[in-house]
Amino acid sequence: MISVQALKKSYKNVPVLDVDQLFIGQNESFGLVGNNGAGKTTLFRTILDLIRPSEGKVEINGKNVQGNDEWKSYVGSFLDEGFLIPYLTPDEYFKFVGELHRYSDADLKNFLEKFEELFNGEIIGKNKYISDLSKGNLKKVGIAAAFMGNPQIIMLDEPFENLDPTSQIRLKNLIQQERKQRNITYLISSHDLNHVTEICERIVILEKGKVLKDIKGSHNTLAELEEYFKA
Amino acid sequence: MAIMMVGYTLALGFGLNYLITEGLNQPDSFTFLNMLLLYYFVMEFVMRYMIQNVPVLDIQPYLHLPLKRSRIMHFLLVKSLAHVMNITVLLLFTPFAITVVAGKFGASGAFSWLFTIWLMSLCLHYTVILFKKRLDDSIWGLLIFVLFFSGLAAADYYQWFRLSDVSAALFAAAADHSFVLLITAIVAGALYLFNYQFFLQGVYYDEQPGQAVSRKAQDFAFLKGLGIMGDWISVELKLIFRNKRPRTVFYMSGLFLLYGLFFYTQKSYTEGMPSFLLFVGVFITGIFMINYGQFLFSWQASHFDFILTRPISIRQYIESKYWLLNSVTILCFLFSIPYAYFGWNIVFNHAMLTLFNMGVNIFIVLNMAMWGPKKLNLTKGGSMNYEGVGAAQWVMGIPLLASPYVIYLPFVIAGKPEWGVGAIGLVGLIGIVLRPYLLTLTTRRLERLKYSIAEGFRKD
Repeated sequence: MISVQALKKSYKNVPVLDVDQLFIGQNESFGLVGNNGAGKTTLFRTILDLIRPSEGKVEINGKNVQGNDEWKSYVGSFLDEGFLIPYLTPDEYFKFVGELHRYSDADLKNFLEKFEELFNGEIIGKNKYISDLSKGNLKKVGIAAAFMGNPQIIMLDEPFENLDPTSQIRLKNLIQQERKQRNITYLISSHDLNHVTEICERIVILEKGKVLKDIKGSHNTLAELEEYFKA
Repeated sequence: MAIMMVGYTLALGFGLNYLITEGLNQPDSFTFLNMLLLYYFVMEFVMRYMIQNVPVLDIQPYLHLPLKRSRIMHFLLVKSLAHVMNITVLLLFTPFAITVVAGKFGASGAFSWLFTIWLMSLCLHYTVILFKKRLDDSIWGLLIFVLFFSGLAAADYYQWFRLSDVSAALFAAAADHSFVLLITAIVAGALYLFNYQFFLQGVYYDEQPGQAVSRKAQDFAFLKGLGIMGDWISVELKLIFRNKRPRTVFYMSGLFLLYGLFFYTQKSYTEGMPSFLLFVGVFITGIFMINYGQFLFSWQASHFDFILTRPISIRQYIESKYWLLNSVTILCFLFSIPYAYFGWNIVFNHAMLTLFNMGVNIFIVLNMAMWGPKKLNLTKGGSMNYEGVGAAQWVMGIPLLASPYVIYLPFVIAGKPEWGVGAIGLVGLIGIVLRPYLLTLTTRRLERLKYSIAEGFRKD
């Protein structure tokens, strides 16, 4: 699925990302943790071809993401508010993204029904521009849009941040349910160790741009992570 | 910039008397200067309107601190005085007051004259703030401007009254009687208090204008037939109509259609200077392309990452921009056809320049807009807002206006200016025909530059 090869990124000769080898397979749920400045967002952005790597490359399904638009139709992502269009209402935004993925009106309706619970009646049909939504609701709109077009890969940066506890739990259920129904590869970064260990079977710790630990399917992942972050 | 202004003003201030008596040959420099002072203030008002900011914008960080609201307001209003425009008058006229006015009316006369002028300048300071706060970027602000100046000019022209006479009398009195100074001081104080009241009412964030105005969902149904490109254009149209700054740009383009009335109504332009009309034609048909295009990518700075990660190729993205700008150019041309009233050759000119804008200038715009674009805040006002203006934006107009002349000039030298206009159209047509190729080149360039553009947009 996603293969990161000898990836390096530095700004003014200061390295911020240095990942030797990283392969994320199909239907894997991959969690990325690390303190601020560890390079999580930079890694995600490089995978999405938003940042040009200084060295190395990222391949999705065997094709370099650079200079290639194909992956965009099956990778859904939400990293920050730059992925939203502030002057549209959520309804218009979903309609637009739907159109990009050739959704019919019925498709769109079906799709939005899945998110009814998460939206909690605060988002659809409100005639409010996205720029006027609260942080939590912004996040919900962005996350939902990342699920549009039946993507094989979904990348979310800090999905639980700014969500209220009920929404956090609902989002967690939603992520797991979607995965039961079809093959989805998740890439999720989070500061919330509880949530991320619950959703992800594989956790990678990033420190100063380097992969420090790569924990797969262990039962005491959480304990291991807590041990690392204590220091 | 500010230091440069101070330097120039000071130099001008010292040379002022010499300039008037020797340069303009006006022996009574005091009366002459007084005659001009009100005009000076009109000009100062325009200058202030352009470069001065409304201070209340940065009130948020203070509101939660344990300070009285009234104190914050006073603080902001007094702080706003720290602006180079507020010492300009002193720099400009102090030397004159000391050398000339003091000689005539004594030290107290000079003092009274100078301070009257200074206080008037401060009155303008607070007037401009009110003016901007109330009317910024609405079409009304501009209209009031235009009407006011036309009124003044007309009054002088028909000799109803001469502003210069009023000015001369007013400032002569200022040197002679201290009550003028007193009245000015009272007016300045009143304006200050008025501002204070005004801001005190507008202190709550959520009550500020422009917050959370939501509208019914609109759709541009006619674009549906164009597929993905149409979807992107319709989103960009929403961008234009729902945000203050691009909206201003759009309305300005409408106003610019009338620009031709300045020139086409005068025989000296239509007959005497046909080459000048090219310039007018580029503006009338291409003003939207120029004004909107200079920030072509910056408008979408807040969601540029969205564009890069969603299933649209850079090529489609560039093409959607191409069609948006060119459609408006065609619209401008259609709306300018009534100029046929002043001669069909004007319509011919416009048609040729429309072709040129669509075939050549569009690619200049597309490519120059990629040159270090900066993030824009869409919700802030448009006129005289320099946010997002970089080097490219300043120089962009030059090639757009100059390029038709490059083609035109050889024909003028050869004595066939009409052919020159035709050649401009022909070159435009060639550009339109070569569109696929030129679009490919533009796409490649954006492919290369998109990383640095996106990175620039992520910075605040």
